Amino acid sequence: MITEFLTRLRFLILRRDRGELEQELQFHIEQSIASKRVAGLSAAEARRQALIEFGGIEPTREQCERQLPGWWIGTVLQDVRYAFRGFRRNPLFTLSILLTLALGIGATTAVFSVVDRILFRPLPYADPSRIVSVGMAHSLEHEEFLMGRFYADWQDNQKPFSALAGQSTMVHNCDLVENNPEQLNCISFQMGFLPLLGISPVLGRNFLAEEDRPNGPPVVMTSYGLWKGHYGGDPHILERTINVDGSPRRVVGVLPRDFQFPTLETADIVFPMALNSAIQQTVNGGFGNPMRVFARLKPGVGVAQAYAEMQPIFESELHVFPAEARKEVRLSIRSLRDRETQNAQPVAWVLLGFVLAVLLIACANVASLMMARGAARQREIAVRAAIGASRARLIRQALTEALLLSCAGGLAGLVTARGLLSVFVGLAPTGIPFIGKAHLDLRIGVFAALLSCVCGVIFGLASALEKPGLATLNAKASMSRSHAFLRRCLVTAQIAVTIVLLSGAALLLRSFVKIQAQNLGMQTGGVLTVKAALPWSRYNTDQKEIEFYLQLEAALRRLPGSRGVGVTDSVPPGGWQGEFRYSDLVVQGKPRTPPGTGGSVASRSVTPDYFRALNIPIVRGQDFTDQDRTGNESEVILSRSLAARLFPDEDPVGKRIQTSELRSDVWSTVVGVADNVKNSGLTEQSGPEIYFLRRSVGDDWDGKRSIVLLDSVMLARAVEPWVRSEIASIDPTVPVEIEPLDQTVSRLADRPRFETALLAFFAGTGLLLAIVGLYGLIAFMTTQRKHEIGVRMALGATRGNILGLITSDGLRMVAIGGALGVGSALAVSKMLKALLFEVSTYDPLTFIAVPVLLTLVALVAILMPARAGMRVDPAVTLRAE
Amino acid sequence: MPQSIDLLQGTLDLLILQTLALEPMHGWGVAQRIQQMSKDVLQIGQGSLYPALYRLEYKGWVRSEWRTSENNRRAKFYRLTQKGKKQLETELASWDRLSSAIASVLGRVAEASS
Repeated sequence: MITEFLTRLRFLILRRDRGELEQELQFHIEQSIASKRVAGLSAAEARRQALIEFGGIEPTREQCERQLPGWWIGTVLQDVRYAFRGFRRNPLFTLSILLTLALGIGATTAVFSVVDRILFRPLPYADPSRIVSVGMAHSLEHEEFLMGRFYADWQDNQKPFSALAGQSTMVHNCDLVENNPEQLNCISFQMGFLPLLGISPVLGRNFLAEEDRPNGPPVVMTSYGLWKGHYGGDPHILERTINVDGSPRRVVGVLPRDFQFPTLETADIVFPMALNSAIQQTVNGGFGNPMRVFARLKPGVGVAQAYAEMQPIFESELHVFPAEARKEVRLSIRSLRDRETQNAQPVAWVLLGFVLAVLLIACANVASLMMARGAARQREIAVRAAIGASRARLIRQALTEALLLSCAGGLAGLVTARGLLSVFVGLAPTGIPFIGKAHLDLRIGVFAALLSCVCGVIFGLASALEKPGLATLNAKASMSRSHAFLRRCLVTAQIAVTIVLLSGAALLLRSFVKIQAQNLGMQTGGVLTVKAALPWSRYNTDQKEIEFYLQLEAALRRLPGSRGVGVTDSVPPGGWQGEFRYSDLVVQGKPRTPPGTGGSVASRSVTPDYFRALNIPIVRGQDFTDQDRTGNESEVILSRSLAARLFPDEDPVGKRIQTSELRSDVWSTVVGVADNVKNSGLTEQSGPEIYFLRRSVGDDWDGKRSIVLLDSVMLARAVEPWVRSEIASIDPTVPVEIEPLDQTVSRLADRPRFETALLAFFAGTGLLLAIVGLYGLIAFMTTQRKHEIGVRMALGATRGNILGLITSDGLRMVAIGGALGVGSALAVSKMLKALLFEVSTYDPLTFIAVPVLLTLVALVAILMPARAGMRVDPAVTLRAE
Repeated sequence: MPQSIDLLQGTLDLLILQTLALEPMHGWGVAQRIQQMSKDVLQIGQGSLYPALYRLEYKGWVRSEWRTSENNRRAKFYRLTQKGKKQLETELASWDRLSSAIASVLGRVAEASS
């Protein structure tokens, strides 16, 4: 390569002029003539024969030039220059190809960047495919958990795993009590947890065995963020003792920066879990504390085999559960990826499918455009072939153009992808795992580059494989039959794919509208939710807590425009709420329902004004009253659906019920029935619900969250600062979180909104591209048929006939494509089932509206060029011959 | 006229190098010399001769200069370089190997090449 280059350089400097070869050949001919004359020929005859023998000079010259090493580089440059001249001459063509490619490649790359982490990219642990989440699943908790009392047993008796380790179930709040106090998230895990995942601390060490047991040395590990942020990356962090919740603890390690808990939680401080099986047998009713357990499969063991091997261990312990609960608990083992992203997988696959369909449409468009260009250039290519361009050279020229276009398109695609990705990330709701981490990286860049190259080669060859015949030189340029047929097929396929995309998006849109339009059973406008994080260290008795909230309630009631102030432990329609089993409900004087049946009941602990604040009507009996708050009687209000189930034919008011699990030996009196409220998220079936009166006694507040609801006639924005100042006047150190309820509810619909917006965007892109393709083909064919149209008109065809001719041609493609599209859309719409709410996958409205819409848009794309065909003047076209 | 034979790929280069090894020569001379020595069996057309000469020159095996020819015309003479001589030796050696191998396959005794 280097010698080639040097030779090239040498001969570039000592450039030979063309005359040199000329002279040399001239000499050759003269010598030839001379030798023939010596043989006895006449001067003229000698010259004639010598010239015949000699042949052409030009081919020799070209052959000689071709000997120069690296000669082909020059021809590539020629091809490139030629291609650029062509692009400049036809900017509309170039622009539409670039835009098509940018959209196709950009959308694909951006979406791939998002779904890559959900579907394909290995999780950030050592050999992540062998890590599983192990535990029990319950009808109230679908993610695997394990009660602490079983852990030791499982660990000792299990065979399929090479390691087993757990973390605590929930991140809890903890206070960093220092001169710079901060509320943090704390979690705990076992000594074996990090080694199981194959993670080592970036600083310091993992917990030691003597630290990971009850009453061990007080130590913690911190997150990278806490170390860098709160402690400013202090290099001596390992020598520090920090005070968490009032007890000093030594920092022994710092977690890596990109460490992520397999539960996808985030925590600032980690304690050793200090699990002790003897203690676990006694706490939490003998079940022990719940934990999340992860395990590493032994080599060669699959999830199914592990499940089979764990089943006996699981069943041998089932007897610990009360008989009625046994049916609801089951063993569950899932791969870590499923544990982390199972909910997001359907939408990720759908998104990937959508965007690949858009890419297909884009590629078809590009191929179609290139073919049209090829057809329009047939004459030019025939001329080039006639003056000596080889077939290989012509193909290479076409490939050069295609590759240039696709490289430029790929580049534009990357830029588009960057923009689209930041839009996705900006719009994405919190429920989609990893989306915050999605970014364009090398892998995805390569993916895009590969895509653009494949596109380039496909459409480059499509236009190059056509052999230019000499016939094209004298004939008027005309597209060959097979070519036109291929383009028609492409456009028909585009229309079919577009129908699939549009109907998918339309189904989701219908579903989203239904979600938005449904009756929640309560008001959300004008209601503020106020959460105060009372520091445990100071509010250490229920009485202090009750006092704070009673003061706050009174203060908020005095605010101008205040209509109702209630305290509750949870707010519908989504988010966390208390739940217990229906079978645990006992009605005085009635037989119990069979254990383990009837599903679950939502329970809320509320103060009297809760129903007023949310405007939930009391349909029977009466609301709780303020007097009841100081009474001894435990009172409940049932939701209408619960009342109907418990007391089918009688008046529930005054009946006494008991919830054996939550409040055994306390009988509660039903005082009223409230209307149903949506309480299991926006898209799930609502469940029965029971409201407990929250009296001003410690038992009713103990261990419960408290959320204050404020219904005000004023604008939320105006009320918020008042609320803050009222809280500050009670206790200025309490952190407060305030959010309008309608905003919270709207956030519940973020996920479907995001999905709908994304799919609608891609469907729109697909539609646009397909319509451009259709328009381009009809316009092209109209131009090609100008002559034919001229003849027809000269023979007496009216403009209407011509319009009909072109339109029916286009509509035939739309009809075939539409039929194919509706068929395939019906076949694949099942895949959307997981994303749809109260909309059938065969929704008739969708499957009628979408083809109609597409036909209307297509009609516009056909009529525009058809009008141009109508204006053909036969006198002009016929004379142009 | 005796039928001319298609030359093996690379053989033309070898013939030219061998011809130029005797003395510097112009293109016409090279063609004539090969024709004579092969008793008119090998006729080199200019269409392949000059590209071959250029190729050899680019490879640095021959060098060209304008000189006066035997009949007092300006002509371009090609001369073997040091590198070309070495190349000729290796090519001759491999030609010997090849031709004796082919000869033994064909069952003929190779004539001793000088």
